[in-house]
Amino acid sequence: MNNYPINNAALNNRPNNKAPQLDLNISINYQQFDLAIELAVPLIGITGIFGHSASGKSTLLRAIAGLETSLRGEITLTDKASVSKILVNSEQGLTLKPEQRQIGLVFQNSRLFTHLTVLGNLEYAVKRCKNSHLSFDEVIELTELSAVLNHRVNQLSGGQQQRVALARAILAEPKLLLLDEPLSALDRHSKTQLLKMMLNIQKQLSLPMLYVSHSLDELQQVCDNLLVLAEGKVVNFGNIHQVIHQLNNDNNSDIIHQQTSLSLPIKTFNNGHGLTALALNAHEDIFMVCDQAFEQQTQLRCFILASDISITLTEPTNSSIVNHLFGTIKQINHQQNNVLLTVHCGSQDFFVTISAFSQQKLSLTIRQQVYLQFKASAVRTFIH
Amino acid sequence: MNSDLQALITTLEMAALTTIILLIIGTPLAWYLAKMTSRFKVIIEAVVALPLVLPPTVLGFYLLIAFSPEHLPGQLWQQATGQQLAFSFSAIVIGSVLYSLPFVVQPLQKAFEQLGDSLLEAGALLGAGPIDRFFSIVLPLTKASFITAASLGFAHTVGEFGVILMIGGNIPGETRVLSIALFDHVEAFDYARAHLLSISLLMTSMVLLAAIYWLNLPQRSKYKDLTVQAARDEKSIDE
Repeated sequence: MNNYPINNAALNNRPNNKAPQLDLNISINYQQFDLAIELAVPLIGITGIFGHSASGKSTLLRAIAGLETSLRGEITLTDKASVSKILVNSEQGLTLKPEQRQIGLVFQNSRLFTHLTVLGNLEYAVKRCKNSHLSFDEVIELTELSAVLNHRVNQLSGGQQQRVALARAILAEPKLLLLDEPLSALDRHSKTQLLKMMLNIQKQLSLPMLYVSHSLDELQQVCDNLLVLAEGKVVNFGNIHQVIHQLNNDNNSDIIHQQTSLSLPIKTFNNGHGLTALALNAHEDIFMVCDQAFEQQTQLRCFILASDISITLTEPTNSSIVNHLFGTIKQINHQQNNVLLTVHCGSQDFFVTISAFSQQKLSLTIRQQVYLQFKASAVRTFIH
Repeated sequence: MNSDLQALITTLEMAALTTIILLIIGTPLAWYLAKMTSRFKVIIEAVVALPLVLPPTVLGFYLLIAFSPEHLPGQLWQQATGQQLAFSFSAIVIGSVLYSLPFVVQPLQKAFEQLGDSLLEAGALLGAGPIDRFFSIVLPLTKASFITAASLGFAHTVGEFGVILMIGGNIPGETRVLSIALFDHVEAFDYARAHLLSISLLMTSMVLLAAIYWLNLPQRSKYKDLTVQAARDEKSIDE
């Protein structure tokens, strides 16, 4: 089963085997679709689940939540207090009902109760939560809902509805929160707002989350680990940046936009010319276009599309392009008319696509030393 | 007491009791049918809908045979209660329950089908068990359909004639209901009393139906929102 590359860095970070973890060993068979997953998922921060439609992402979440009944195998959840709870063990004929699992799920469509107000929806969760610890006001503050508490739910905008759904799920005080494409129906502004909110909630309440999305941009911003599914099987699992980098070389470049995915400390918020400096390593910085939203942050998630980086053989000292890095070509991967280069700069791999024509013209080979250059505007981030 | 007044009281008692029984057995039956995926569903649905197309006298004829002391149901009833089932108040209530079943089951089944599973799943994940989900989600969202089902069941039972004629006979204070009393008056060429009964039945039915539609008005718009929402949900899931 374990023939997919696993990043040991992600798995070995656990201090002991009592850390919060979700053990999956399940199979689901439908007429045209099989899902078979055997994996221990450490519940650290937000874990992304990525894949095309019909890759089994939503089915996996429904199985964990207890909404998928035709399932064989085992699911065990170990919570923050190191208590393990068997959710399903089909051999022993044991299946906990969804209402017994203490798992929350925010659906793509908010599924709010239309006969209740916003407050009524939230109280629905509070009333059914045994020994609640959370402060209602704190959750309202985190989800910024105080102004709409007495509204009917069908008066709300899509973004507000998803915030109510999120608050309602949190108020049930689950041990694990599942998010099934919660942003897919929202506009970009609401998406960023909700993503920030999710990150904040995850930190404030230290509530582990599994977040399903078909948008790598969203996942790249908030997830610590990433699970990639295709046709009901695990393709890859591990640290988000490493998994994205492995996907770059998977030759099925349609699955993602090939990119270099980074988490970097902010060194200078504004260099006086509207650029923010990120520390790539002790000696080198990367410049990106400054945004007010960076001011409160110390760390930034960003990515550079492989098609936005170019290669020169000599140091480009007379260029308007602000970022240039010296590195060594580590790998050359031919993909139709393009070539994907993996270039090692300092301690970081960068991914560059150039045309096969340019590669021949510069006669690039492995271990050759080159300069990368990319504009400040090529360093992208999703959260503004 | 005026025999027509007595017939009215018997009719109202029969219809009220029938409606209560129908809600108690019709709700789980409608729920089961709404959630059922087996191919036997169509057979059960057909059986429930039979009274809509069958001449009431056919149903009444078979019930008369079943209720007689020579056959098992009638025998069991007599052993349990010490009384004969045929030509009793209990017989016309049982007959009415079967006869008015589709009027209660069908609107409820349709409402449960339209409600779908999505809100129930949301409720389960918030810790609500099945009974809790029924009273906190299903009932408030399908209230209008419950009112419709109960009213239709009641009104249809009041208007029943053929089944009661077959299994109830014409015992004053026991099985003599308004429609039978009316038939008696016509048979006796007492058209004045027949007119009085007919006009009052007509008016009462009219008022009752108008009241159903009036009661449904505010809920109906709410319900529409719900079904639109459900339809939208279905669509986005398909995408």
